[in-house]
Amino acid sequence: MSSLQISNAAKAYGAVPILDNINLDIASGEFVVFVGPSGCGKSTLLRMISGLEDITAGEMRLDDRVINHVDPAKRGIAMVFQSYALYPHLTVFENMAFSLTMARAPMAERKEKVERAAEILRLTHLLDRRPAQLSGGQKQRVAIGRAIVRQPKVFLFDEPLSNLDAELRVQMRAELIQLHQRLRATMIYVTHDQVEAMTLADKIVVLNGGRIQQVGRPLDLYDDPDNKFVAGFIGTPTMNFLSARVKDVAADHIVVSGLGGDTAAAGLVIPFAGFDPSIREIQLGIRPEHATIAIDPASAEGLAAKVTLVEELGDLTSVHTVLANGERLVAQNHGRRHSGAIETVVRIAADKALVFDMAGQRLRPAKA
Amino acid sequence: MSTTVTPAATLSSASASIASRRSVSIATILKWLVAICVAIVAVFPIWWMFNVVFSHPGVPISINPRLYPTSLSAGLNNILTIFTETDYLRAYYVSVMYTLLTIIGILLFSSMAAFEFAQFQFPGKNLLFGIVMISLMVPKAVTIIPTYLLTVQLGWLNTMQGLVVPGLASAFGLFMLIQFMKSIPAEMIEAARLDGANHFQIYWHVAIPLSKNALITLAILTFMSTWGNYIWPLIVAPSPTMYTVGQVVGLFNAPYSHTTVDIVMTANLLAAVPPLIFFLIFQRQIVEGIAHSGTKG
Repeated sequence: MSSLQISNAAKAYGAVPILDNINLDIASGEFVVFVGPSGCGKSTLLRMISGLEDITAGEMRLDDRVINHVDPAKRGIAMVFQSYALYPHLTVFENMAFSLTMARAPMAERKEKVERAAEILRLTHLLDRRPAQLSGGQKQRVAIGRAIVRQPKVFLFDEPLSNLDAELRVQMRAELIQLHQRLRATMIYVTHDQVEAMTLADKIVVLNGGRIQQVGRPLDLYDDPDNKFVAGFIGTPTMNFLSARVKDVAADHIVVSGLGGDTAAAGLVIPFAGFDPSIREIQLGIRPEHATIAIDPASAEGLAAKVTLVEELGDLTSVHTVLANGERLVAQNHGRRHSGAIETVVRIAADKALVFDMAGQRLRPAKA
Repeated sequence: MSTTVTPAATLSSASASIASRRSVSIATILKWLVAICVAIVAVFPIWWMFNVVFSHPGVPISINPRLYPTSLSAGLNNILTIFTETDYLRAYYVSVMYTLLTIIGILLFSSMAAFEFAQFQFPGKNLLFGIVMISLMVPKAVTIIPTYLLTVQLGWLNTMQGLVVPGLASAFGLFMLIQFMKSIPAEMIEAARLDGANHFQIYWHVAIPLSKNALITLAILTFMSTWGNYIWPLIVAPSPTMYTVGQVVGLFNAPYSHTTVDIVMTANLLAAVPPLIFFLIFQRQIVEGIAHSGTKG
């Protein structure tokens, strides 16, 4: 188990910056997930940690030892690739023992370490097979086994589940959690799938445009995002954003109007202590589970909306609507089916709404 | 509504189907005829060699010729004569060594260079690759004299290295292996790097086994071109002690050679045996190799 510190790290290809000002502390035994859209630099950051990519600026320390210029093989890091990268001409045993073979370890040691890893991953009966004779999940386990055999200080996973089908992905996710609990090793995992990030991570690092947007525990990011990007990226369906005007500012709340272009409607009261009265325009972030379709639209108060799409998932129903000003709003009905109405009213849980400034930064209430 | 089928209609459709069957049959027969003719043209000289070698002298070309071997002992006697009264065994040794060393050398150098070209970036890579491509387009006849002069300056006339070394830089082999090794995923090379393999170990334990099919193809094509190479050994190894099988057969076939036709045929047959065996063993790979590389060596 090892800790990793990254200070002011940057990566550029010539004049093109890829990553900038990366500062990160990963504690020993932590499961950290880098998440972000394609091209955000998460895989590059992982490859910089592995040593497969040079670091342009900054410093990386593994157990207080600077590893910027240490050869990848000597960093004590193992990596599991998206494509598994198994050697097709070698058996499962030979694949898992490859690092020991390169180090000219005695056969008894190779056998012992491979068999131990195979037992953990339930691969013992497959040791004589070649990768072509394995299923996707088995190949993935062999790739993980190859990493375990090296007894690394840090495990790196580069989107390891993205080649698997949905069912197998769920199963492998559970196996990875069990593996982490069993090995208590430091693991860094890259994915663009926020469900994977939420379910696996002790700590999530959200990246966008080569910069860290926020670092925190999964539910902290969900409940208390720093900006619109994190709020929109974490959570499915994505958070709704509605522009609004601040009509009135009180000590413990604000009143906003013009939601969805409905100027005639009464203002929405949002609990918010210490709001800066100079701010007149804001954006409200509303999670779909905090927006519900009114049962009786004729008598209900809320935002008038037109239903454009209904996604029935059985336990919950996502209703996609469009408001008077053209903004889109997704509402959810838990356990209740949609009536089929086109013209409807959406009710918003004002106490759950998050406030963002027009630049997308979160505005937080003053602490009592 | 029902449809009545008249006897005339039935007849015309039947005759159409017979006609189409007949036209297919004629096409098939023609194809077979052509294939058989080509096969006879290809196989007959080899069969004729067998026939002449394994017959009593004069029988195959007598007034009443035989198209099949008549005497095993006469053939064995011919072979014994060749091996005991000429330096044919030495020529065999020279040819086998020349071919083997050329194959090993080409596989080694081409694969090492191809590995670097295909998987890594280095200064001047594109320029060097361009030079390799240009050398592919220059006919061998153009380079043979300068290569010969260089070999003479090195003092390599009538030596095995003189035969082998100039042929080791195979632009074709390099090109073929580069194309193949480009298909090795970069992640596999990176995985090996993380597993602690050094540069040579990645080449030896990952790139070479993954390029096995291409290497076999290159080995086969190199065998075919080296065993049958006549010009280079003729000019660079003129001493009888360094004659290859091709040169010895050339001597038997010379206009003032006083050997009888059955002995000449035996020499020819013995020269043809290794490629024949080679072909029979590697038939599938040779055909695949020619199809993949678009060449016949």
